[in-house]
Amino acid sequence: MSAEILEIVSTLPIPEYLSGEVQSKLAYVDEAILQAQVTPGGERIRLSLAAAPDSEQRSRLEDKVQRVVASMVKGAIKLKVQVLEDHLDRPVPYALDPMEALLARKEVNPEAVGIFAVGPLLSRLIQFFEGLFLELADSFDAAPYRFPTLIPARYLERVNYFRAFPHSLSFVTHLRTDLDAIDHFAQHAACDEHGLNEPLTSFAGIETLLSPAVCYHLYFALADQPLPGGQVVATAVGTCFRYEAINLTSLERLWNFTMREVIFVGAKDFVLQSREIARQRMAAVFEKIGLAYRVESANDPFFIGEFRKQAAFQSAFQLKFEIRARLPFKESTLAVGSYNYHQDFFGRQLNITLPDGSPAHTGCVAFGLERMAFAFLAQYGLEPSGWPEFVRQALA
Amino acid sequence: MDNDLQTQTMKRVQAILAEALQVPPDEISPQLAFGDLPQWDSMGHMEVIMRLEESFGIEVNADTIAGLTSVLVICSYLEEQGYVR
Repeated sequence: MSAEILEIVSTLPIPEYLSGEVQSKLAYVDEAILQAQVTPGGERIRLSLAAAPDSEQRSRLEDKVQRVVASMVKGAIKLKVQVLEDHLDRPVPYALDPMEALLARKEVNPEAVGIFAVGPLLSRLIQFFEGLFLELADSFDAAPYRFPTLIPARYLERVNYFRAFPHSLSFVTHLRTDLDAIDHFAQHAACDEHGLNEPLTSFAGIETLLSPAVCYHLYFALADQPLPGGQVVATAVGTCFRYEAINLTSLERLWNFTMREVIFVGAKDFVLQSREIARQRMAAVFEKIGLAYRVESANDPFFIGEFRKQAAFQSAFQLKFEIRARLPFKESTLAVGSYNYHQDFFGRQLNITLPDGSPAHTGCVAFGLERMAFAFLAQYGLEPSGWPEFVRQALA
Repeated sequence: MDNDLQTQTMKRVQAILAEALQVPPDEISPQLAFGDLPQWDSMGHMEVIMRLEESFGIEVNADTIAGLTSVLVICSYLEEQGYVR
């Protein structure tokens, strides 16, 4: 079945610097959208739809698209991209999309949209990169933590997550503790093309979500008390979940992914210096593995209502820098990690205090393990003989 | 710049901040800085910037946003840039 194309003329022209951000948010406009594209020049939006819309659907779609555009474009502040490191031109030998070879070799098994099982090659590579990130954590004498995959809804509410990132939340529930509901499910549950056919009334209210980040768990462990010793450095690896609708593609953008974080909590100078030291140490590591990448200022993918202000604030205060690895096969880059500073946001929200009674500052460096492995394979291919000596020996 | 104009600028900025941060005007002292009130957080700061832009008909560039973190600094910036006369 071929897709129906609907072109909408934007009431506000979309500036080029916002084109990607608007496009990514259009994914959440309507379930009927298979693909969304801002045309060059930013005057039109092209939607691919599963079926031709009737006039009412068309009108509703247009209205929602215009709302997204207006919310993000009206009064937008052009963000200045600050580049801290640029090694994008580091020579790399591979130029194909590794996904095709990974699928052909059964090194990845797509279980559902955004959900992949990975095989031995990727697992070994991920373990190798994990070792490098753990060395970084050790260089700060970071205390190891293990955090749950689930996170209470009230935790995320307390740090305003629902307002900032509602679109990417993943909710957890279970059958109500009711014999009739459990019996009904056991006897009738089945999956169709829409998923489980069980009525929503069989499920308990949502008190828990799948965790979208690792470091939040540490901040909650430190909440409502003075910070022990005035500063904390911790590290943890965790599975994180961010739903990205039609933006979920290959290993570049997963619903279910793994992050290693090194987390700093303390005075402002301590957190900022630690973040900078971490960046410098990782620059040496990335050189050894031959990664072509750039470190540049960035913003989190806030939802439309908060995007304009929060993104501008992050940019102006240089709160986030992404490590963007080159993907030669599409002449693009992929964020494989980030260096983050949250000012005293979590200190204030969660009442984490320094010895002088002021709110603690926080920051973290975070690495996406699947993305790191994917970017490396995109630059060096699947054959270890083509890999840099340092990586080859470590994995021998 | 004469004192009257400085006083006028201060009053105007205090009124803008009170509206942007949704607090009573008497809570906006000349010494007030980013973070002193729970309302003057990241979202509050950007609300302040946008209200300043609307009120003075100016465009604050991304480099300047991070610097405008107190009532006094905002007044000085507006005066130095010639946005108040």
